[in-house]
Amino acid sequence: MPDWVEPVARYILQEGLPGTLRVSAIAVTGSALIGIVLGTLLTIRFLPLQALIRLYVEVFRGLPILVTVFIVYFGLPSASRELEFGPLSSASIALVLWGSAQVAEATRGAVGSIPREQHEAAAALGFGWGGRHSFVILPQALRRLLPPFVSLLVNIVQNSTLAQVIGGLEILEAAERQNERLASAPPIGLGEIHAFEIFGAVAIMFFLISFPLTRLAAYLERRLV
Amino acid sequence: MVLAAYDLWAFVSENRDELLDGLLNTLKVSAFAIAGAFAIGLVLGAARAHRIPVVSQLTAVYVEVIRNTPILLQIFMIFFALPQFGILLDQFTVAWLSVMIWGGAFNSENFRAGFLAVSYRYREAGYALGFSPLSTFLNVTLPIGGRIALPSSINTYISVVKNTSLMFVIGYAELTTTALNISNLSLETLEALTVLGVVYLALVSALSASIRVLESRLALPESG
Repeated sequence: MPDWVEPVARYILQEGLPGTLRVSAIAVTGSALIGIVLGTLLTIRFLPLQALIRLYVEVFRGLPILVTVFIVYFGLPSASRELEFGPLSSASIALVLWGSAQVAEATRGAVGSIPREQHEAAAALGFGWGGRHSFVILPQALRRLLPPFVSLLVNIVQNSTLAQVIGGLEILEAAERQNERLASAPPIGLGEIHAFEIFGAVAIMFFLISFPLTRLAAYLERRLV
Repeated sequence: MVLAAYDLWAFVSENRDELLDGLLNTLKVSAFAIAGAFAIGLVLGAARAHRIPVVSQLTAVYVEVIRNTPILLQIFMIFFALPQFGILLDQFTVAWLSVMIWGGAFNSENFRAGFLAVSYRYREAGYALGFSPLSTFLNVTLPIGGRIALPSSINTYISVVKNTSLMFVIGYAELTTTALNISNLSLETLEALTVLGVVYLALVSALSASIRVLESRLALPESG
């Protein structure tokens, strides 16, 4: 293997990978928590609340995620000084906004698919709205949410690369920095272009993470339906 | 620090021509990519549904590679890695080509599912009437399966339109790049982001409204 490979690989794995993992972990957790709450609230027949959540869902599902990233990274600070976030945090927030909208929509469907008798039986046992949903309805709905969750995870891992656009150090940014370093003249770089090898390796990394998960999502979909 | 007053109207009227050019470029890239993704999806989806040897397997590989790697990385591959092999493409070509390849992969799955949903009896009826496999496909499978695939393929086109915003990374002057470049100079960040938000949401809702219209127009007779 040529000499340049080892430092490039080390940089991408040591500096880039943690960034990707951090953004993905925050985005998945935040999307799941906020999305499930919003989706459950969406099943309540109270028009102003429904309209508000609908607006949130439609806006963040409709916007290109990159535009949401820009809104968080450039828009929030120019609206208020206190709302300034770093590139990785901005990307995480944008992905939570997008992901929670996706989850809310899926949750609404899953909660709605639980038969009415389940609500009635839980009510007969003396559960209030909160207890009914947290102990009876949501545990059943979560089973149906499993396949969309796995797809969401894949989408979020892939879209975490959007942090690169605003300079967040994740896998793609790490790869791009190494690509530029190698392309610059010695002694900094080699004056050689290795874009295909570097980005190809990054593509394989993403594929190895995503492919088993998309298979899993398809499998769960078949089993749970 | 005093922030400049938010004035959306001034922003839009002062930069009208540039913004319109940007929107036009977004629409142009989207149109090229959607037309290509339609053709790719139709042909490869049919190949997959009918298990045509070699083509079917190669399509499966193509679909899995595109689905399981970030689109931003695919754009980087075309823009930064292809020149290594002497293939230098201009920004416009990279723009429509990359989203077309992406959309084509998703669309071939949409069409495959649509064609597979056509009952084998319909095709048998076609063969019984003496149609060749190709004319059975064109006269039976395509009109029925194509309609079934329509809503999901329009959803893919919606994603294609949204993904054209990624051409910001290669500096192609579509809407996102144009609006952000203007705001870099004038510091009218919020105005620029408002324009982007409104235009993309309008494009997306127009396309998703077209799903409902087309669905009712093209509904199969028996589905009432």
